[in-house]
Amino acid sequence: MAETMGHSATATRNTKVVIGFCLLAIAPQIFEFIWSIGTIFGWGAGRGPATVLISHATALVAGAPAALIGAAGGETKKASSDVLLALIYSYPIFAVAIVTMFMTVRSAQDYVGGVILMALALFALWASSDLQGMRGFSFGAGTAPRMFGGLLVALSAGIALTGLLTDGPGMSHYSWRGPMFVMAAILFFALAIRPLGLVVTAFASFMIAATGSHETRWLEAAIVGACLTVGCALLFPYVLGLPMPMFPRFLVQ
Amino acid sequence: MDIFANLAHGFVVALSPINLLMCLIGALVGTLVGVLPGIGTIATVAMLLPITFGLPPVGALIMLAGIYYGAQYGGSTTSILVNIPGEATSVVTAIDGHQMAKQGRAGPALAIAAIGSFFAGCVATVLIAVLGAPLTKLALAFGPAEYFSLMVLGLIFAVVLAKGSVLKAIAMIVFGLLLSMVGSDIETGASRMAFNIPELADGLGFATVAMGVFGFAEIIRNLDAGAEMNRDLVQQKITGLMPTRKDLVDSTPPILRGTVLGSILGILPGGGAVIASFAAYTLEKKLAKDPKRFGRGAIEGVAAPESANNAAAQTSFIPLLTLGIPPNAVMALMVGAMTIHGIVPGPQVMQKQPDLVWGMIASMWIGNLMLIIINLPLVGIWVRLLRVPYRLMFPSIVIFCAIGIYSVNNAPVDVILAGVFGLVGYWLIKHDFEPAPLLLGMVLGPLMEENLRRALLISRGDWSVFLTRPLSAVLLAISFGLLLLTVLPALRAKRDEVFTESEN
Repeated sequence: MAETMGHSATATRNTKVVIGFCLLAIAPQIFEFIWSIGTIFGWGAGRGPATVLISHATALVAGAPAALIGAAGGETKKASSDVLLALIYSYPIFAVAIVTMFMTVRSAQDYVGGVILMALALFALWASSDLQGMRGFSFGAGTAPRMFGGLLVALSAGIALTGLLTDGPGMSHYSWRGPMFVMAAILFFALAIRPLGLVVTAFASFMIAATGSHETRWLEAAIVGACLTVGCALLFPYVLGLPMPMFPRFLVQ
Repeated sequence: MDIFANLAHGFVVALSPINLLMCLIGALVGTLVGVLPGIGTIATVAMLLPITFGLPPVGALIMLAGIYYGAQYGGSTTSILVNIPGEATSVVTAIDGHQMAKQGRAGPALAIAAIGSFFAGCVATVLIAVLGAPLTKLALAFGPAEYFSLMVLGLIFAVVLAKGSVLKAIAMIVFGLLLSMVGSDIETGASRMAFNIPELADGLGFATVAMGVFGFAEIIRNLDAGAEMNRDLVQQKITGLMPTRKDLVDSTPPILRGTVLGSILGILPGGGAVIASFAAYTLEKKLAKDPKRFGRGAIEGVAAPESANNAAAQTSFIPLLTLGIPPNAVMALMVGAMTIHGIVPGPQVMQKQPDLVWGMIASMWIGNLMLIIINLPLVGIWVRLLRVPYRLMFPSIVIFCAIGIYSVNNAPVDVILAGVFGLVGYWLIKHDFEPAPLLLGMVLGPLMEENLRRALLISRGDWSVFLTRPLSAVLLAISFGLLLLTVLPALRAKRDEVFTESEN
């Protein structure tokens, strides 16, 4: 009885992990797609969303298998970057996801950690795939990144394997509130420091970050935030002599 | 004697009013930030790095060094008074120190920690002065192959001394090496893994990564642990700072032993200060007539680790100043600071910039003296600082970090990158990866790649050069032996025992 219950628990757990890995496998593609939506509004350069979608979809479904078959047939055609991404990054992660379905994960902390690290390493391998390799006995720009990328793939595979073979802690709990508001504060700071200046930005970011804790008292936080802002406005530009915009641009002009 | 002439020259530099002021500010600010619970030495140095940018190089480095040991001292204050070690090196101090504080002997505990640190600092300063010059000569015999092997040894040390899984520690180092390759290639100028983002063309700023992984990640983690961290702050007033005669007699031998142990371990690359404090504590416990007293407020348990970690913290400047190789993450930050001021650390620095090197060495001694004079009367203020609730502290730290990173390059993208690395750091913590080897790998990466490439170019692509050059072969053999020992089950158990000391 206990055994079957345990088994079903790992089964549901595994499905979640597998779905997570599948998403991870196409994460760069999704990221580029979201990024490309901006081009509609004229933000940033790059391909439009439709092109991105079609190009990645064909690369994943048709291009990569074709390249694989081609390579097996001894053909050495230069593959496009999207096809390479699918080949170097997405396919191995998909493979890991499929393998995960049939495995009992004994330490989710190690296993998931190892796989995500592997994804990072594979991504680095893809990112350095367009660089020049060895030229005779001299290193090219791409040699060292590929060497360490390959090493990291092996090491992270080892970590994932430990997660399968030895018992260990499961996934620890991630909270969302703290990270989200702290990140929001950082993002706001980065975007606002130039146009709005230090005074406004520091105070606003302080309040955003303060939202990250459920025990914040607003009046108290506002007072401390104001004091901190004044302190920073005196410390950084005047005492330390670091040039920084102080007030919103539209007020100064 | 050459050494004394050099030291005297150093004192002349360090005692100039402006440098004295830098040292004082550094020690004060370092203690101030180091006292805040949850912010370790690395985070403190990373956070305060930008405030030294506007200064002349000598002043900046003196101030940074002051920040470094100030932070370390602040960390021990927190662990004694609140039982929250701000950093790994003061974990063991918390065991007996906090017990002493509970028994109303916080004063003597703090005083002994300060006295032990001061004594260890004095010895280590002399040691740096004595060993500096000969090691520099040795460094001149180093070719690219030797440098590469030495760095391998350093990284292996970092693995051996990291707690937890060896595999994970190595993976973190390689991840760090990989991160260091982002940006332009040194030789060909090709843009590597930069995705056409102009801010990445120069590579990831290591201050950015350090601030993200140590600063932001720590904040996020403390937030989800719940701000209701168990802070059993010692409430009663701290009376009687001075230790009794018996305390002094009891703690003299541990301070001596701790200093010797710490000095040796500090020179070895790979994060000596942490292991030094653990090892010193274990040694005292083994040597004690009545080991049961440990964990119940034994003064030896404060004296030994505190002097050991301070000795190690200072002797770890030796490899940095002589070979230009940072032995731990804080020293890695120092390298960054030097590079920002246009100084390339290494054997040439000692000859070309004696003011800088000897001034810094002398200022270490002065800094330690200042710490002992300043901090004992200021304990009351530090205690009050500890009562500031976390809900007010963390947004302040976020803002301070953000402004700091922005001011490095005046680049908003750096702030976003630090935020991203904050998330990465949070993820690393959740999966029990240690971030310190990552930073070390990241700093050593460019040096390592450059020397590897150069060695292979000189040997015309022959990989055996690393084994045929005797010095290089010895270094590699030591690293291999160390790695083997770490993996062997018997020693592993021993190593785990050292690291679990704090839990029992």
